[in-house]
Amino acid sequence: MSSETVSETPKENLTDHCYDGIQEYDNPLPGWWLFLFWLFIVFAPAYVLYFHLGVESRTMEGQYDQQMENILQLRFAELGDLKPDRETILKYMDDPKWLAVGKVVYKTNCVSCHGPDGGGIVGPNLTDDYWKNVQHVEDIVKIIQNGAANGAMPAWKNRLSHINQIVLTASYIASMRSQPVPGNGKQEGSVIPPWGQ
Amino acid sequence: MRMRIICTLFDWYWVCCKACFPVCIQFTIFAHKQRQKMNEVTQQSLPSTSPATAGQHLDSFSYDDRIVRMFALATLVWGAVATLVGLIVAILLVMPQLTVLEYISFGRLRPLHTNAAIFAFAGNGIFAAVYYSTQRLCKARMWSDTLSWLHFWGWQLIIVSAAVTLPLGITQSKEYAELEWPIDIAIALVWAGFFGVNFIMTLVKRRERHMYVALWFYIATIVTVAMLHIFNNLVVPSSFIKSVPIYAGVQDAMMQWWYGHNAVAFFLTTPFLGLMYYFLPKAAERPVFSYKLSIIHFWSLVFIYIWAGPHHLHYTALASWASSLGMIFSLMLWMPSWGGMINGLLTLRGAWHKVATDPVLKFYVVGITFYGMSTFEGPLLSVKSVNALSHYTDWTIAHVHSGALGWNGFMLFGMLYWLLPRIFQTKLWSTKLATWHFWLGTLGILLYIIPIYVAGLTQGLMWRAFTPEGNLEYPDFVETVNAILPMWWTRIGGGALYITGIVLLAVNYFMTWMSRPSTYEVPVIQAAPLSGNYVDPPAPQSRLKDAPVLELANKIDIFKQGRWHRVWERLPIRFTVWVTIAVVSASAFELIPTFLIRSNIPTIGTVTPYTPLELAGRDIFVAEGCYNCHSQMIRPLFAETERYGAYSKPGESIYDHPFQWGSRRIGPDLAREGGKQSNRWHFEHFREPDSMTKGSVMPAYPHLITQKLNFNSIPARIRAASMLGAPYTRELTESKEMALEQAKEIVKALTEQGGPIDGTVKDSSGETVKLEDTKIIALIAYMQRIGTDLFKTDAPAGSPEAQPASSDATTDPATSEPMTTENLADENKEGVQ
Repeated sequence: MSSETVSETPKENLTDHCYDGIQEYDNPLPGWWLFLFWLFIVFAPAYVLYFHLGVESRTMEGQYDQQMENILQLRFAELGDLKPDRETILKYMDDPKWLAVGKVVYKTNCVSCHGPDGGGIVGPNLTDDYWKNVQHVEDIVKIIQNGAANGAMPAWKNRLSHINQIVLTASYIASMRSQPVPGNGKQEGSVIPPWGQ
Repeated sequence: MRMRIICTLFDWYWVCCKACFPVCIQFTIFAHKQRQKMNEVTQQSLPSTSPATAGQHLDSFSYDDRIVRMFALATLVWGAVATLVGLIVAILLVMPQLTVLEYISFGRLRPLHTNAAIFAFAGNGIFAAVYYSTQRLCKARMWSDTLSWLHFWGWQLIIVSAAVTLPLGITQSKEYAELEWPIDIAIALVWAGFFGVNFIMTLVKRRERHMYVALWFYIATIVTVAMLHIFNNLVVPSSFIKSVPIYAGVQDAMMQWWYGHNAVAFFLTTPFLGLMYYFLPKAAERPVFSYKLSIIHFWSLVFIYIWAGPHHLHYTALASWASSLGMIFSLMLWMPSWGGMINGLLTLRGAWHKVATDPVLKFYVVGITFYGMSTFEGPLLSVKSVNALSHYTDWTIAHVHSGALGWNGFMLFGMLYWLLPRIFQTKLWSTKLATWHFWLGTLGILLYIIPIYVAGLTQGLMWRAFTPEGNLEYPDFVETVNAILPMWWTRIGGGALYITGIVLLAVNYFMTWMSRPSTYEVPVIQAAPLSGNYVDPPAPQSRLKDAPVLELANKIDIFKQGRWHRVWERLPIRFTVWVTIAVVSASAFELIPTFLIRSNIPTIGTVTPYTPLELAGRDIFVAEGCYNCHSQMIRPLFAETERYGAYSKPGESIYDHPFQWGSRRIGPDLAREGGKQSNRWHFEHFREPDSMTKGSVMPAYPHLITQKLNFNSIPARIRAASMLGAPYTRELTESKEMALEQAKEIVKALTEQGGPIDGTVKDSSGETVKLEDTKIIALIAYMQRIGTDLFKTDAPAGSPEAQPASSDATTDPATSEPMTTENLADENKEGVQ
């Protein structure tokens, strides 16, 4: 294909093709192009063998479980499992480091109904003294876990990855009462005593 | 059962084809005869333009440029429409309060934008290119003027019907395959029956012995698009405007992205490469850089592209082997794609001085450069760890726009500026204006993609940002939206500039058209028909024949010299068969295991089909195009499970016809939305999203509150779902009653939670509507169901929901009881051992 045409057009490495005036050179494939082309063809089976030979820690799920353990370790190893009782909840109300966990859970899941500052949108105000289903601070944990008001407040016990998240969220919510905001202006439920009484 | 459905569907297509085919053939034969008569007449009256070759019989014929003019005009018109709708949806994103009509909400218009850009703008553009170049490359008029004409009007009719049905919410919800089944049948007919037959027959009747590389790309386009379109759109119709895909969940996702990715490959890449191979050397007046490269990059592109689809589904419930295949084939695809870019840019060697003065070449240089950029970026984004960051963000949007605006748009603009003086047989009205179009367009693209890349990276990094203590740094989703609003505003400026460029093209187009001659000259071409006794040049010798090598090496060397391919190039049918084998075999390798291997989709005992009302609500979710902004697929990444809940399992979506995994999170993921908010919250949120989430960019859906749900359509919908394997019992006979029962329960809970007190609302005309009859209640029913099956127990109905999952349901720690440090420690011990 090449040698004959080259001799006919010595200056240029043209083929004898001509389509509606379009000609084609008989240039070879660029070396770097061919190298990278083969490189990825060789890489492909190597990748598949590495990740799909049945090594559990290299699978998607395996990597996720690893990641999950590391982060839970980082978060809660020193805390252990918190008990959802009054003392624990009250204790962490004044602990900014651990309260941050509750705050993030609140911001992720609760703001849509209770508002960013806890003033309430369709959910009740969490900053005033009027409470519907809560008499004592530990009731907050029960409400978070099981929900309330015929599903208006969803149950969260399957949705959060660790019991500490629920307890610390209860602490965070309890702490909001120290900074009352008018919120939606509705006073739902009845007045309850301050936490710890 | 499934086989029966597939058979029924094939019957359908077959009946349609059978009905139309004889008519087309009759038409075609008639038109063919008329044309021959006319040609004979013109031949006598017009002087010949080609010198006659002595002693050889010559055919006389002319090229059909009228059809090229029609497609060129359609390209311009639809280009303007597609980009304008794009601008509108970009504005709706930053100002959702402008959604004054339900028909122009983002979710309904975005598919219109993508479909118009792909099938109307790019589609008409490639048809103009194919009709102009194929005739000249084959030295033959299109086989049938009638088929050309039917193709043109059929395609425009399809586009218009898309522009009507999509805003009405009639959609299949599969990206770039949104059009409902009657339009799909029309597409199959127009594409394969009119366009495909006309093209292939022109190849068969050609007078040029060998087929040029542009034609190879056209062949691949026609064959593969037909295959993709038909197999992705196999559905069970439940009414004239509603259908259910035969695939569900994981399989539907796999089919969809096999289609979706290859729509990019075979609608926006191969035909454009064909276009490039014809119009670029024409405009530059330079030979193509390398014939060998054409061969290698054509075949590798055609074979490898087909596999790459699953890279759209990394980290999803798709089996990870499929996702790995998608990734490695995308990487292998990098060089075949760049082969096209190299052959384009290096063809300009020796012509670069022309680029400075010729706007056509300017468009091509930038267009091909964008092709190179996006085909480098594509493999990059397909790397799983990069995709973990980029997926669901604006990065993808920036990527496709650098391809669509830069590559597709600019290649078409270059082609149009080159074609205008030729099809209108006059001079281009203003080269200066064309150059202005080029600069405005380029600036527009940059002003579009740069902010959107920034937006994509910003949002992707915010989603995964953790504080040192291991908490999400931006837990409130709306924060991550508000952070990128300035970039969305800048994008509007870029889009507006790009559209201004198109307006300049329109002016130039119109003025050039105005200066056309009163009648177009139709040159008569003379060329010899192909003789039947062609002999190929003698087989080449191995260049190693004198060297001491194995016989095999000689054979390889002869193969490498490529004469076998030169033989294929003069055999269009054989060439087409080989292209078909390449794309079908690649598809089969990837798709068939997805359907046959049971372990890909482990069964989850608690997953049950949707109730009739939930199914109706799901159809509203689909019709409103919610999937355009909300994914329903949580990936096994810690940042995602923290934000949204347990990651999605393959077995959860087995009743999802169509799947609703989505591809972009303009709003948060909804895969675990069920039970997360109260009915009241959803009600208020659909009525006025901003009242529930400050800074939300979701449009309001007040019409859902007053519009009545068509309960009568539910039985047909249930029947379709049942045909596709949903184990319904009582639903088969009492679906309407069941739907109404559930609606009443939801309204009851809604009123208890502080919703409308008497369970009624007033519509715009002041009439009282019972809430249980409205669409919003069905939609809430669906919202409350999404992703809850995983937490269900097999306990009798009526027990409190959301109990810890039973052991056979799943073994994933994130979905069962809240994890404690005790069992965490156990797992760690196992890990150490």
